[in-house]
Amino acid sequence: MTVVPIKLAGASARSIEQAARASRRVGTALVGPAVAVIVAVHIVPAFIGFYSSLRRIFFFADEGFVGLSNFSALFSDPITWQAIGRSLAFTFGALALAVPLALLAALAVRELGPRGRLLLTILLVPWAMSPIVVALLWKWILLPSPGGLFASILAVFGIPPVNLLSDPAWAMPTVIAVAVWRTFAFAAIILSAGLGQIPKDLYRAASVDGLSVVERFTKITLPLLAPSILIVLSMLTISYFNEVQVIIGLTSGGPIRSTTTLGYQLYITGFVELDQGRGNAIAVVMFLINLLLIVGYIQLLGGRKGGEA
Amino acid sequence: MKVIARAALLVASSLAAIIVLGPLLWALSTSLKSDNHIFAVPPRWIPDEPTLVHFRRLLAEGVHWSFLNSTIYALGAVAAAVLVGAVAGYALVRYPVFGKRALLVLFMGVMAIPGYALLLPTQIAFVKLGLFDTRLALPILYAAHVMPFAVWMTRAHFAGVPRELEQAALVDGYSRLEAVWKVILPGARPALLSAAAFGFLYSWNDYITATTMLESPDLRTLPVALIFFQGFHGRDWGALMAGVVVATLPPVVLFLVFRRYLIGGFAEGSVKG
Repeated sequence: MTVVPIKLAGASARSIEQAARASRRVGTALVGPAVAVIVAVHIVPAFIGFYSSLRRIFFFADEGFVGLSNFSALFSDPITWQAIGRSLAFTFGALALAVPLALLAALAVRELGPRGRLLLTILLVPWAMSPIVVALLWKWILLPSPGGLFASILAVFGIPPVNLLSDPAWAMPTVIAVAVWRTFAFAAIILSAGLGQIPKDLYRAASVDGLSVVERFTKITLPLLAPSILIVLSMLTISYFNEVQVIIGLTSGGPIRSTTTLGYQLYITGFVELDQGRGNAIAVVMFLINLLLIVGYIQLLGGRKGGEA
Repeated sequence: MKVIARAALLVASSLAAIIVLGPLLWALSTSLKSDNHIFAVPPRWIPDEPTLVHFRRLLAEGVHWSFLNSTIYALGAVAAAVLVGAVAGYALVRYPVFGKRALLVLFMGVMAIPGYALLLPTQIAFVKLGLFDTRLALPILYAAHVMPFAVWMTRAHFAGVPRELEQAALVDGYSRLEAVWKVILPGARPALLSAAAFGFLYSWNDYITATTMLESPDLRTLPVALIFFQGFHGRDWGALMAGVVVATLPPVVLFLVFRRYLIGGFAEGSVKG
């Protein structure tokens, strides 16, 4: 296209420079509002959080600088380490359940063709729901009463009603299952898109070479799907590590703290007990763990792409 | 062998669909049963004498005002996020911008870091600024949370609209604004719809931001109102499930209508990313 050269044909070098500067001003002005919002709502609070974590703050009353004592109190409290352990159990338990399910769903969606799109739509319905509403719904389903849905399914097998949510051994697996019920299909979107990127010729060649279904899966599908799996792993790890709404709705961290993750501890310390200095110390720790996770996954993803290119 | 595999696939898929949709249908069924039928053994999926008494109960408790709040907050946030986000996305593609690379990293990084760890300092800031417990608190926060996504989505689509099309419109005597309106926006429609739909789902479904930024009963969103209702009437499962139905219908209908853009947006983002 020759539009730009014609317009600029008679212009002197100086007016071109002026035009470039004007255009840069317009561009910066157009991006400005978005940047201002991001800085005001994401960057500034990050600094306030760090600043507040070094102060003693109760009920919004700032009692002054206390150095790192919020952190030392936090890390010398066994409850914190227990919460970190519960966070890891929740995050990796949910990943271990969600990723294989999402992979199976994505394979089924691809295999079913047009009906696969219908399946994906159905599986995604819980993802469109509010986590706290999902928690409310499952509380009713799991109600240990003869009229409860789960209890009556157990009754078919001759098992008496059990209260999964108030059993310290079962509460965490149950919360994980509900969180995964809501979210696994989102991962299936990405995995199914990744499967669509794998050239069909590879499978044809593989069946000519006499590879079995299992070999085709482990030798073609899995290696070529690895980038998508990494994306899914990174998105889900961060989202599960920060999950708190399903826990608030289902168990309130109980029974006997068995579902009190770091995120739930932050909710209680910062918003319920209003110990905002210590709450912000937990927030800083969570923020740093998030940052580490993100940087780690970027390294993994970037390293992969560089290696393949 | 092939037939068996195909049958197994269909059975497994149907089972997955039942596990996903069953709980929702159970909530709907419960919400339509009168109190003395809710705990019937064995459970019945089709209510004997369907009743709207639980929905009327929610109206009597004023839950429709929370529904209205949720709607207003979500729509306001979506409008602001998509407008400001799309303008920024457009500028990042078509204009030289000061510190463009750093800005792209900023938008991307902010999208990756979840807002939850920032909620406590945000609350402290909002109390200081006088925004805590006001009608503006949630639209501002939701818009800010959705905006990086809107920038990212629209930027990718604006980049896909050929610059020549826009220049041709300028040569034809359209102003820059007209060119954007007539040529660029229609081209970026999928991105705008996917950002808007995602923004609505995010805002409508939030509980944690709403419960930590608002106190007044008349500012409450629907999820917050339901949790309060549960606190007072924890055993009123009929009304609670009516609430679940009311809170679930708008996002699910929206998802079904815009599923193409939502699924497409995330699928594209992951393949390109």
